[in-house]
Amino acid sequence: MGIKRGVSLYSYQQEQFFKRMNLRDQIKEVRESLDTDGIEIIDQQAIRDYPNPSDEWLDMWHSAMAEFNMKAVTMDVYMDVLQYRDHVMLYDECAERLKNDIRLAKKLGFANVRCLSAVPLEVIKMAIPVAEECDVRIGKEIHANHVLDDEMVTELVTYAERRQTPYVGLVPDMGIFQYRPSMPSMNYAVRHGANPDIIPLAFDCFEQHMDVEEAVKYVQGKIPGTERRELTFLRSLDMYNHQKPELMKDLVPHIVSIHGKIWEMTEIPGEPGHYEDASIDYVTPFKYLKEGGYEGYVDTEYEGQRHKQDQGLENIANEVEEVRRHHEMMRRLIGE
Amino acid sequence: MFDNWLIREDSLKNVTENGKVVGFKMGVRIADYRGAILSLHNGYYINVDGVVYPREVQKFEINGKPPRDFEEIKKAVHEHWNYDDEGMLYVMKEGGLEPGIHHIEFQQSILCRYGYAPAVDEEWVRNPPVPGSGAGAGKTSAIVSFDIPLTE
Repeated sequence: MGIKRGVSLYSYQQEQFFKRMNLRDQIKEVRESLDTDGIEIIDQQAIRDYPNPSDEWLDMWHSAMAEFNMKAVTMDVYMDVLQYRDHVMLYDECAERLKNDIRLAKKLGFANVRCLSAVPLEVIKMAIPVAEECDVRIGKEIHANHVLDDEMVTELVTYAERRQTPYVGLVPDMGIFQYRPSMPSMNYAVRHGANPDIIPLAFDCFEQHMDVEEAVKYVQGKIPGTERRELTFLRSLDMYNHQKPELMKDLVPHIVSIHGKIWEMTEIPGEPGHYEDASIDYVTPFKYLKEGGYEGYVDTEYEGQRHKQDQGLENIANEVEEVRRHHEMMRRLIGE
Repeated sequence: MFDNWLIREDSLKNVTENGKVVGFKMGVRIADYRGAILSLHNGYYINVDGVVYPREVQKFEINGKPPRDFEEIKKAVHEHWNYDDEGMLYVMKEGGLEPGIHHIEFQQSILCRYGYAPAVDEEWVRNPPVPGSGAGAGKTSAIVSFDIPLTE
């Protein structure tokens, strides 16, 4: 046992966009190249005619999952509160969407749904009876800008413990452990007018744990006239300062699954064939996950492709390779 | 996202009705990593050779149905624009476009959300953002430029 590896098919969004890999191709890649079975999907990316896929689509899904002997881990679901356009959705309308998504997840064989950080606990509570009935857990995402001990997390953990229910839990996104600017995003900013001299300064800001305002002041002090829109690293800087990875250990019983966020996998200097995301700490959180006895999935969520799509086809990201490298890293950290 | 592929480069054509050229059209993809509930699709900032064509003269064709204006699209609250699918954006303009290469500046607006945002939710129900401001532009908030030929 131990930590299990999976892939969110989010990672292959670009391959799907260009129609170079269909759903079956993506599932096959996970089985045959990564030698693992965990599959996570974005409902509105993978499921044709969401929320009412055809029988033909459902047959295709089930047969591909069976053919490669895969496990449907988590289905990521959304809450578009302006859907009706004539009013902002009420809590019970949001809960209806969540309940329907849970039923759909069940139909597809998923163990869990991931709901967004911004979904109020009240909405989740309304969906618990359906989660219980379907035996599908609801995991609320801990995404960037949230920290492991903020009100959103403690409120949910307190509720789950008081109610003694496994059906409400958490989906931490490894992006919360970002501790350096991500190069794909910095390079995008530079191609779109940001001063390249900002890059080393952004690294300083992270290293010195500056907050956003200190960082703006610091960069503008060094390069007068720098505009705030050039400082795309501020958002990720904002969360790094406050994260306590050791908290992952105690959260283990509440973790439904984990988003293995990556921006770019590069070779570790001096270690040929070994890769890391140089902007996100995996080593420390994985240590605490192991100490806490986590036996669930970490599903790769490669997100760096969006920062290269302003270039020609020859310079866009290789999603398949990025995910393969991430699994090399995870195997090593897990100790497979 | 998908900045350079939001308009298919060989898709720009004039539109003829009853023997008269009434506008032009182009194939567009979704500027996000997921499909969208169709009602959330809020039109385009589209500037062709320096002329801005507002949402009111735009129509959108998807899911095998005839082109609909954005007041109709707004009512498609239980219809999905699938991630994989190209839609056709129609712009009504008498006489259409001249043959040759056209400079297009483009931004899509889809009001998809990640939960409540009290600062804008009620405002966007009353006054949906005008495409081009970046508001509601989702994952591609830059205005993207294309130089593409009229093919028909």
